[in-house]
Amino acid sequence: MNTSAAHADPAQLRAWLQGAARRDRMAFRALYDASAPRLYGLALRILGRRELAEEVLQESFVAIWHHAVDYESALSAPMTWMTAIVRNRAFDVLRRRRSEGEDDAIDSDALASLADLAATPPERLQMSSDAQALADCMAALEARHREVVGMAFFHDLSYNDVANQLTLPLGTVKTWIRRSLARLHACLSARGVA
Amino acid sequence: MNLRGNEPLRERLASEYVLGTLRGGARRRFETLMQDDAALRRTTREWNERLGAMAEFAPPVAPDKRVWRAIEARLRWQAAVPRWQFWRHGSLALWRTLGLASSALAALLLVTVLFERPDSARMSDIASLLDAQQRPALVVTADRTRGVMTVKVVADVPLTSEQALQLWAVPRAGKPRSLGVLGANRELTLPLPANAIGADVALLAVSLEPKGGSANPDGPSGPILYKGGWVRLI
Repeated sequence: MNTSAAHADPAQLRAWLQGAARRDRMAFRALYDASAPRLYGLALRILGRRELAEEVLQESFVAIWHHAVDYESALSAPMTWMTAIVRNRAFDVLRRRRSEGEDDAIDSDALASLADLAATPPERLQMSSDAQALADCMAALEARHREVVGMAFFHDLSYNDVANQLTLPLGTVKTWIRRSLARLHACLSARGVA
Repeated sequence: MNLRGNEPLRERLASEYVLGTLRGGARRRFETLMQDDAALRRTTREWNERLGAMAEFAPPVAPDKRVWRAIEARLRWQAAVPRWQFWRHGSLALWRTLGLASSALAALLLVTVLFERPDSARMSDIASLLDAQQRPALVVTADRTRGVMTVKVVADVPLTSEQALQLWAVPRAGKPRSLGVLGANRELTLPLPANAIGADVALLAVSLEPKGGSANPDGPSGPILYKGGWVRLI
């Protein structure tokens, strides 16, 4: 994996996104090349199946092309904006599958790797500085607290779902997640991250 | 719920909204409150930046080239790929929605023409693979008792010495499975793997490949030339 592709400069991504808003196909292609591996990796982590992740990536980029003109008003970093699109679409697919009873339980390997990653991620160098700061702050959480936050983020789970998955009392899960979010906020603020 | 001036509660709800654990009515109320509260929108945006970075914890994976081709096709940037080259459409749903009735009928007609011989009673499955003009090109038969399948080329298929045909079993969901590669030979007997006759196999397809077959074990690298329904006879 080429590190420049894995972690593209936000200013460059923004310029390509603005190009796409002006219907510049070359800019859109460059945006795809730079960001697709990250976004596909995310879809794959959420859905666990290649063909579903490919469909989500495809739909997301069609949406990115059509909504590139709306990007300016989103006031967020390009990768954050695109990540939200991919995550929402992947969750739509996940919910559809769950309602059809097709989705299996959470992949425990994926959770284990999440726990490791926040502690000593080998892919750290490919991460943006924001993600590195978040990884550091998550590493400072207790392992099980980190796990429930990760479960909620990657698997679209409610407090109830998390509690059922881990056979923990609902109140415990709520407390862990709320406390973890507050700690992450404090930790990131202390590091000067927005 | 009065949020004004309650900074800890505003932060908490915004963070739970972004994480996804704020659900149902509470989520909808929060969205209504955001409409009239620019500061709350900003707080939520900040949480989106903070937690959105978690997406980078998933290792990057290069997507297959067919995803970009499918995006171009959806945006109508390129001449549409011929419909019969369904592998190239990228839309995986197509694999599952191919009409099979006509090719099943053609298979049954062909079986009487081609296989009127004493051992035909042992034939358990048959597929007649048609080209884009719906003309029969290959006939594949299986004998479950002996565990073999026979591929017979019944049309003129011009191949260079660098090209080969590859036979695939296409399931309703998931990746196609390679059954074998045909070179210049017009008839070939292959072992019949169990996954070629599973109940989930909807059709057989033949792709044009470089000599030796597709480099990708999970699917064709070239266009699909022929396809047809895989019909169980006995």
